[in-house]
Amino acid sequence: MKIIDRRKSLETCTESGWDAIDILTEEPLNDEDIESLRSIEGSFIYLRQLKKPFFKIESHNYVIKGVRGDSFFRYAFHREHQEDVSFDRFS
Amino acid sequence: MIYFNNAATSYPKPETVKKAYLDALEALPSGQFRSALSCDDADVFSLCRNRLGSLMGISGTDRIYFASGSTEGLNVIINGLGINADEIAATVTEHNSVLRPLYNLPSIKGEPVILSCDENGYIPPELFENEAKKGRIKALVLNHCSNVTGAIQDAKSFGEISERYGIIFILDVSQSAGCLEIKADEWGVDALAFTGHKSLMGLQGTGGYYVREGLSFIPLKYGGTGLDSSRILYEDDGYEYEVGTQNSAGIAALSAAVKWIMDQGMDAISEKEKKLTGYAIDALSAVGGIRIYGSGLRERGPVVSFNMDGFAPADLAYILQNSFDIVTRSGLHCTPLIHKYIGSAGKGTLRISFSCMNKESEIDEMISALKEIAG
Repeated sequence: MKIIDRRKSLETCTESGWDAIDILTEEPLNDEDIESLRSIEGSFIYLRQLKKPFFKIESHNYVIKGVRGDSFFRYAFHREHQEDVSFDRFS
Repeated sequence: MIYFNNAATSYPKPETVKKAYLDALEALPSGQFRSALSCDDADVFSLCRNRLGSLMGISGTDRIYFASGSTEGLNVIINGLGINADEIAATVTEHNSVLRPLYNLPSIKGEPVILSCDENGYIPPELFENEAKKGRIKALVLNHCSNVTGAIQDAKSFGEISERYGIIFILDVSQSAGCLEIKADEWGVDALAFTGHKSLMGLQGTGGYYVREGLSFIPLKYGGTGLDSSRILYEDDGYEYEVGTQNSAGIAALSAAVKWIMDQGMDAISEKEKKLTGYAIDALSAVGGIRIYGSGLRERGPVVSFNMDGFAPADLAYILQNSFDIVTRSGLHCTPLIHKYIGSAGKGTLRISFSCMNKESEIDEMISALKEIAG
């Protein structure tokens, strides 16, 4: 997985006071990409039964979520915790 | 794509609305009082005002003013009455378009009196009367239809209480205009704010407000009006409220939208949306692990809020949108105070909201998606 851009999410309201950025990837996310994100600390949910499977990694101060096949995933975080997760190794 | 976010912005728009907008862009520009070009019987502004008046039961249509939407309208009204916040009553069902002006406008002081609601989002008028009796309240701002539970407030009773105690009655019809009956004059409404882009089926950035004849208020903005250009200073009264160049193409589209609603028939639209809402509630109730908010309401607007066990509303909305192409909305819905009372404090709800363009088959698809997600 290669991250090519980060954009402020237009849907921050949905997270009720959190900030969020959408992280854009060079290729659509596959199982291997999602597995590689799993090393990030937090509870991991992967709904493989869906036609477009959904995954989420959740910690107290952030949520990472996305859908297999999309070329982006979302990183939502409490305002003072943006730096809690580094995605540098994917850039 | 299935669109269930009509309480935010209705989509799609009627064909006549699109045509009216494009026609307005092709035609010579309309300008209120600024050009001989507008001196014909096709004055888009007056026509739209008259149609809005017919739809909302307002006879004094010349006191309907255009603005960018109800947020601007509410700011103008709340700022303009010259009343401090601690003399204003509002409710926990209010949108931030009411709460934020009340708490932040530099021109008004103190904190408003906030009336609570029951678990369905309904506010008993007696609560208001109890406050009114104390003699301090000078104005009430009431959300007519909740954008969270769909609860429809008894505006007529609130109007009667307001009249009895000499309180200015301000009604926010952002969610009800175009889908529910409004009788502003009959209900004793002194001021009202509406937006064009929801059930009125117009464009984003259109809407406005109404202030009845005889109720003086100070403008929030000053500028060119095309009337008496030699006058610079306004004192006491005789103010003008539509300043700057108006969004004539948007107003032409809004006018066409209101005509479309009247042609369809308000009753027919209301009945169709009521059926869709009832159908959705019944279908959701049959899915395990779903809690519907405001399920005890007998009458409601075309809005259903719910949560599903094991899923944050934001996650459920994300999955529905990105895995199933179903557009909903999650969170607090810009209405932060109601959630404590209906049991959705913290993360809020997932909300689906309908227009008369939606179909039962779309609800069936969403239910299938929810069952698949629930596993």
